[in-house]
Amino acid sequence: MNTECVAMLLAGGQGSRLGDLTINNAKPAVLFGGKYRIIDFPLSNCMNSDIDVVGVLTQYRPYILNNYIGDGSAWALDQIQGGAHILPPYMGQKGGKWYSGTADAIYQNIDFIENFNPEFVLVLSGDHIYKMDYSKMLCFHKAKQADLSIAVMDVPWEDAHRFGIVNTDEEERIQAFQEKPAIPKSNKASMGIYVFSWEILKKALQEDAGNRESEHDFGNDVIPMLYKSNKRIYAYPYSGYWRDVGTIQSYFDANMDLLDPYCEFDLTDRNFRIFSNNISRHPQFIGPEAKISNSLICDGCIICGQVEHSILSHDIRIHRHTILKNVIVHTGAIIEDGAILENCILGGRAKIKSDVRFIADELESVPQIHVINS
Amino acid sequence: MKNAIGLILNIGCEDPSLKEFLQHRSLSTLPFGGRYRLIDFTLSNMVNSGLSRIGVIGSNKYNSLVDHLGTGKEWSLSRKTQDLSILAGANSGRLGHKMKVNLKDLQNNRDFLETASGEHVIISPPNHITSFDYRNAYEIHSQNNSDVTLIYKKDDSTYHLHDDDIYLDLYNKRVSSIYYKKEQQTNYFFTEMLIIKKSILLQFLDLCECTGDWDLMDMVAINLDTLRVFSAEHTGYLKRIKTLENYMKASMDLLEYDIMQELFLEKASIHTKIKDNHPSIYLDSSSVSHSIVGSGCNIDGTIFHSIIFRDIIMGSDSQIKNSIIMQKCKIGNHVTLDYVVMDKDTKISDYTTLIGKPHDPIIIKKGTVI
Repeated sequence: MNTECVAMLLAGGQGSRLGDLTINNAKPAVLFGGKYRIIDFPLSNCMNSDIDVVGVLTQYRPYILNNYIGDGSAWALDQIQGGAHILPPYMGQKGGKWYSGTADAIYQNIDFIENFNPEFVLVLSGDHIYKMDYSKMLCFHKAKQADLSIAVMDVPWEDAHRFGIVNTDEEERIQAFQEKPAIPKSNKASMGIYVFSWEILKKALQEDAGNRESEHDFGNDVIPMLYKSNKRIYAYPYSGYWRDVGTIQSYFDANMDLLDPYCEFDLTDRNFRIFSNNISRHPQFIGPEAKISNSLICDGCIICGQVEHSILSHDIRIHRHTILKNVIVHTGAIIEDGAILENCILGGRAKIKSDVRFIADELESVPQIHVINS
Repeated sequence: MKNAIGLILNIGCEDPSLKEFLQHRSLSTLPFGGRYRLIDFTLSNMVNSGLSRIGVIGSNKYNSLVDHLGTGKEWSLSRKTQDLSILAGANSGRLGHKMKVNLKDLQNNRDFLETASGEHVIISPPNHITSFDYRNAYEIHSQNNSDVTLIYKKDDSTYHLHDDDIYLDLYNKRVSSIYYKKEQQTNYFFTEMLIIKKSILLQFLDLCECTGDWDLMDMVAINLDTLRVFSAEHTGYLKRIKTLENYMKASMDLLEYDIMQELFLEKASIHTKIKDNHPSIYLDSSSVSHSIVGSGCNIDGTIFHSIIFRDIIMGSDSQIKNSIIMQKCKIGNHVTLDYVVMDKDTKISDYTTLIGKPHDPIIIKKGTVI
């Protein structure tokens, strides 16, 4: 079997900075924008880029994620050859071990990749919200005859110290790396999206696996090693909406971006649709006393209160005389009569009792009310 | 239920009030309730009752049916152990429309009936809005070793009856007579859902092959003395869609919380074709109350007491009241709609006002631009 490009999606991370949202759930499976899960974005990108072999590397709390991905049919990945493959750590003759880093996760699945005999491997992470046509990046990679291409985007200078920053020449070839630099030399930040030529990557992974001092991480170990050995590393310039949703604040903000009619990130664009593993629910029932404005609402909700500037997932019950403002509500939550909520995130199946008032001025002061484990 | 086959009939609709909606589709695929088609209710009820082999008889307007049902995946009917067959109906002409169960349709699909494993056939029309579990009726059917079990409902005077309804007399659950006209003493009407032994059905088909067109219900009525015909009661909500008036009433019924709850929340869910829509977007100046809204909408403006299907785009300063807006409609700015039914893919330009009457809504045909 020959496939030009295999995508490997790193989805094993815990996302500990998302706190209670990832108690039972891997970060890529956290709900986003009502009906979506974070992993929908890279998977839909693959679908929109005609990449039809995707290995999903799972490790932390994989049940919801595995269940959600299923046979991959939601992203048209249920084809006979190729498709979506869930790749957890496994046992071999010499025992087994957990994935100890991003590079190690790919290293342990060299056999999987070899099955498809690809020329290129696309490495993605499951924690960013963006739309990107990877096939254009692949074209760039081929045109530059690169060994490795890293997608980069311009970030505001004041934020540059939070990212991996690259310096390039006029040809977009990378001249220097700085990981979270105190004094950044450029504002081109790595987006954690890599296209490798497979032969190069395979050798590098094998070499890295033998290095006892390595943490087996792409950003810290493998890419610096390739750079030192003078491989052709290019920066693929991307412009457009891209958000890391690794913290409660950034998660909240990126969600709220969806409510901004002027935001460039457009869920309604039919030419580049975000697909998800849909569940079938009855249409929204909006009660006689309901009032809704500036919100995103999913099927299966029953709303009898006031909802303003909020995002509601499936199956939410909002009783009468309630007020929700700047709230993200996850699947199955119940908000009883007279409750007032402002600036908060309600976890799945949370229940807010009658007349509870919860108004947080700043999100950071009280990031969430309640997450009831499902 | 492993021993039963589901069969959903194609029934014609003679009523002129629904004509505009049925030019491109059969009655079974008439959009309903914000995201469904009529057939979703019967098909989901059958699946939720545990039937694993279901045949759906199509009409001459196959496209909408085949497009909607596909492989049956959304109803879990695309598995090695469960399947959906879309069957060809007989072209029965005008006469056939009046029949409850046209045996010619079944004759055409004798192969399906013979080869599908199961000794009983559960037959239902496609135009019922109800959440019904066939298992109770099936139990009565099995316990009494009956040849035919007719599912009936008590007429409680609020019920919308039709001219062609069939009424039953019951004696200890056994059907003692079948009437074609309502008589004083009868208050049980036949819901057009029934369970029949496959062997009896095949015998009827043999007979019908020799003697021409037959309605299964006539066969049952004539042979009432020799057959074991029992009855099972349907106690919940049931609306049968045969006219525009039925359609409007049943649609607006969904805005009553209790009915909505019975149909969608109490029992297993009603399945339909899934679309990859974004969640519905309510813009800043929107104000929506007492309505049903599907996914993928983009709403600006005021909506009251209406059924809004999937993928609707509604402009600002527009008002929709007491209306049904089917999927993919576009409504411009400063539009006022009251008692309007818009079929799918229609467009209303800016500054349009359309006001219908409660019993005579304005109907906008599929694909129209106003």
